[in-house]
Amino acid sequence: MSGRRGGNRIRGPQSALTDFLAANNISAAQIRDDYERRRREAEQDAGNAGEGPSNAATEQTEDEALAVAAQAEEAEKKSKKRKRTEEEAIDKIKKAKATKKGKGKGKKKGKKDDLDDDNDDDADYDDDFGMYKKAKPVPGQLEHCDICNKRFTVTPYSKEGPDGGLLCAPCGKELSKDLKKEQRAVTKAASTGKKRRKVESDRLDGIAVGGAKSLSQLCIQKVAQHHDDIEELGDLPQSVLERLSEIFSKKRVMKSKTLPLFLRPDLDSVVVHDAAYLEEEDYQQIFAIVPNVRKLVLSNTCQLKDGAIDYMLERCHDLRHIQLYAANLVQEGMWHRLFREAGAKLEVLKLKWLDAAFEDLVVRDMVKYCPNLERLKLKLCRRLGEDAVVSISDLPELKHLSLQISQDVSTPTLVNLIEKRGSGLQTLSLEKFIDADDSVLEAIHENCTQLSKLRLSENDTVTDAGYTALFTDWDNWPLTFADFNSTRDIDNNNSEGPEDAIGLASSGFRALMEHSGAALKHLNIASCRHIELSAFMDVFNGAQNYPLLEHINLSFCNRADTSVVAGIFKSCPALKQLVAFGCFDVQDVVVPRNVALIGVPRAQDAIEQFGIGIGVDEAISRMVEVAA
Amino acid sequence: MASSSDYVTLVSNDGFSFVVQRSAACISPVIKRMLDPKGAFMEARDNTCTLQNINGMVLEKVCEYVYYHEKHKDARDVPDMDFPTELCLELLMASDYLNI
Repeated sequence: MSGRRGGNRIRGPQSALTDFLAANNISAAQIRDDYERRRREAEQDAGNAGEGPSNAATEQTEDEALAVAAQAEEAEKKSKKRKRTEEEAIDKIKKAKATKKGKGKGKKKGKKDDLDDDNDDDADYDDDFGMYKKAKPVPGQLEHCDICNKRFTVTPYSKEGPDGGLLCAPCGKELSKDLKKEQRAVTKAASTGKKRRKVESDRLDGIAVGGAKSLSQLCIQKVAQHHDDIEELGDLPQSVLERLSEIFSKKRVMKSKTLPLFLRPDLDSVVVHDAAYLEEEDYQQIFAIVPNVRKLVLSNTCQLKDGAIDYMLERCHDLRHIQLYAANLVQEGMWHRLFREAGAKLEVLKLKWLDAAFEDLVVRDMVKYCPNLERLKLKLCRRLGEDAVVSISDLPELKHLSLQISQDVSTPTLVNLIEKRGSGLQTLSLEKFIDADDSVLEAIHENCTQLSKLRLSENDTVTDAGYTALFTDWDNWPLTFADFNSTRDIDNNNSEGPEDAIGLASSGFRALMEHSGAALKHLNIASCRHIELSAFMDVFNGAQNYPLLEHINLSFCNRADTSVVAGIFKSCPALKQLVAFGCFDVQDVVVPRNVALIGVPRAQDAIEQFGIGIGVDEAISRMVEVAA
Repeated sequence: MASSSDYVTLVSNDGFSFVVQRSAACISPVIKRMLDPKGAFMEARDNTCTLQNINGMVLEKVCEYVYYHEKHKDARDVPDMDFPTELCLELLMASDYLNI
């Protein structure tokens, strides 16, 4: 047996026995160590070194006995060396515990540290203490694969197995492939979750309820995706152009670069719902390219300044419809000038989110110079107050009025407004007039006969009796849009509300549906929590039919329950969307085809439930089964 | 020349013709009206629609779309149909014209 030194990969001759053992994955070195250890213990016990081997022999199997015999044979030959190796073994024991080396076998390499012995035995020692621990062997040693138990050489790239030991190259490859597959499955699970949310979000935008998206929608999405690469939109018709601009605004890519796509000299409307990125030059470009603009819609126009308005007044002489949301950099003088110069033709004016520059005086000028104004929407303009309302009552052609004024407006002023203009009004929307009381409703009852859209929201003074009086024997034709959300008494000490209900409650609701049920398309009674279950059952009981009703919002009407929802499905054949947040008695709803039910939570369900392909009757019968 | 055959032909302005199922083609209300046997249009007689403003490549995608739409009629979470970006704008115009 020639000695083997570290770094020498060449295997010299081994004894036949060692070969046999190695082929059966029996570590001769391990056996030897066992033997040594036992011997030492025996020494300690009996103090007799000679007993050790025989003890060891009886404990081991036949193979091992042979091995031991072989070892003993070799040991006899090299007793001196054995003593040395004993000591080294003890050292190894100590050091291995500290440094966690694993089993090694056969070869010793130079990379191994000084614990290696340059034993000429073929039974190399390994730092084998890791019988009890799977310690990591240094690269260069031979090791058993954790999975297939084959012998292989440890390299720096050996993969770690599930038990902590190392794996041979093929098993390592398999393991990493499995790991990669798992990771891909995990990411796929995560991204399918994301995809589903995106699909549902699209559906909530009203794009598609069940089934595939329309081809127009798919194309528009793709265009929005590649907005950077488009140079020209060609000859798209105006409606498509407007839809595209909506999507661009939604994705926040309406910038200086993409704006020109939507500007063509032959257009008569410019609609930009998110003009936040547009700067002075962009606005001037709009007015330069499209001088014949009649309808100008710019939302989030934070960067619109006097200079741009000045240019607009110079170039565009045909403006009929101006909608500027958040144009706060326009000075007061410029507003005055705008109305003076462009007011004569102006028919539609919608302004939101204005601050210091827009005050009651400006409204007075507006009324003076815009006699043809038919549609007026003034919301969230901080400085407007009572005087503005007084001025507005003098607009002769007013047909559609939408007001949300944060300062206090006295009720008589409102009543006066309605008395003066009520007969011509088709739309009346009064939001957040908290203190408006029954007299306003009386005025509406007396004066308004052409209303088709009525909104009175966020009010806690008008009583249920007032609503009932409004809708009983009212000369107005049936409303198509009714919004009375958040009309209720707010008193934390009395959650049931007073005896005489405040806000739209049972009798008011019944009267409303009686009056307008035939023509109603949109119904919003969110937070009208004083409406009793009996009222719901009377209104939505399957026998009544509301042929045009498409959107219903009864969020936070906590008296509504599943039977109400079933009744709604039955009574409203044209129903598209039912929003019912906070209605905790509504459970186990089976949604029929083409209906989107939003906000009814059960832990497992999605927040939006879309109709599966079944009809209303079947849906209701299924619900009855579930309830029974 | 059956009065109501199962398949109809759609012809593009550059001469390509596509034979598709009637039920699929009639997803487009425009085509449906053209092919309506009760109407007096020539297309209804021949069961052939010639679309003068749509070229062959775009019409091919349109046919693919009508089948895709029909297949996924009542399904949920439908994956979007894929098409090359270059066709996008022309396809948008075609879809707007055909109202699909």
